Amino acid sequence: MLVAGGEKMTHVDTNVITGIVATLSQPDVEYVHGVTLPSLAAMFTRLYMQHHGVTEKHLAMVAAKNHANALKNPYAHLQKAVTIKEIMNSVMIADPLRLYHCCPISDGAAAVVLCPADVAKKYSDAPVRIAGFGQATDTHAVHEREDPTVLKAVQLASKQAFEMAGLRPSDIDVAELHDAFAILEIAQSEDAGFFRKGEGAKALEEGKTALDGELPINPSGGLKARGHPIGATGVAQIIELAWQLRGEAKERQVSGAKRAYCCNFGGFGNNVVTHILERMD
Amino acid sequence: MQERMTGFRCKDCSRLHYPRHARCLSCKGTDFEEVELGNECKLLTYTKLYVLPEGIEMSPLLLGIVEFPNGVRALGQLKGDDIKVGLRLRPRWGKLRTLGEKDIYGFRFEQ
Repeated sequence: MLVAGGEKMTHVDTNVITGIVATLSQPDVEYVHGVTLPSLAAMFTRLYMQHHGVTEKHLAMVAAKNHANALKNPYAHLQKAVTIKEIMNSVMIADPLRLYHCCPISDGAAAVVLCPADVAKKYSDAPVRIAGFGQATDTHAVHEREDPTVLKAVQLASKQAFEMAGLRPSDIDVAELHDAFAILEIAQSEDAGFFRKGEGAKALEEGKTALDGELPINPSGGLKARGHPIGATGVAQIIELAWQLRGEAKERQVSGAKRAYCCNFGGFGNNVVTHILERMD
Repeated sequence: MQERMTGFRCKDCSRLHYPRHARCLSCKGTDFEEVELGNECKLLTYTKLYVLPEGIEMSPLLLGIVEFPNGVRALGQLKGDDIKVGLRLRPRWGKLRTLGEKDIYGFRFEQ
């Protein structure tokens, strides 16, 4: 079975595409007010800064890391190294979010072939197994969430996937997260269970999420730099992890990667899908 | 014109909602009564948005999430000179934007 995703977004003006993407928000109490996805992310970021000690520099560190990873990925949309200083001086999109804290508008497509595990060796020398998956929803309107800094659907969907796989977050060697905005990589790294709530930024600072760290996050460059053609992103995340598990990721290979975790987002965390993949050998 | 901003209280478990839901988020009840949210709320978080969707005239657009004393929260446009977290605001009815040819009205939060 072929699973394919794709999106063409760059042929219309930025404010038009921003308006189209904004229709993902709650129609009656978010969209009508002029809400866009960057504005939701900005309000989420400000809350995170107040309650969990995240700073503008942490956001810049996520972006700089993911841009550096994308330079090693020939399929990445943005092939450009950026410094912390450049990121922190880039144009303001939705205060406190600057241009380089946000994913680009991308075109792209991605596809994977699925088959029963017992015949997988017929199609590939190095097949990858889906060890677990999860799916969960949260309130559509962000303001209705009990704690708006918690991505509850990420917590629930991750718990399901880990239970199905019989694994714990500490068993994971590499992860692809949905960093449409820099803050989301930090928040998801906590709500997926890799770090305690409020400690994701510290893990980033310590280099744990770098390509050579304990848990490399977004070796592909993430949505930030690999790009975010909306309908292709989820499949592209899975492909990156399949390459990592097969040892085919070349310059950005996470050494010895055996198990991988993936988190994809719909809306602003109101529909979340997670996967755990592992090498079949 | 709507004078007062209202929320929806579940008649079974008393949970207050904004906006209205078909079923209560706590107990799945389907009976609600409309209750006034009050004339004062507190700003929890905000943004100044510089990349605007079509149909918005205010640039930058000030958006925020407020909390009423009964714990209900709402998102909306803000009006004020020195916007900061914790600010006391009041809901005021007015034109929010145009969508297509249509003028859209609703509550914004003002100093």
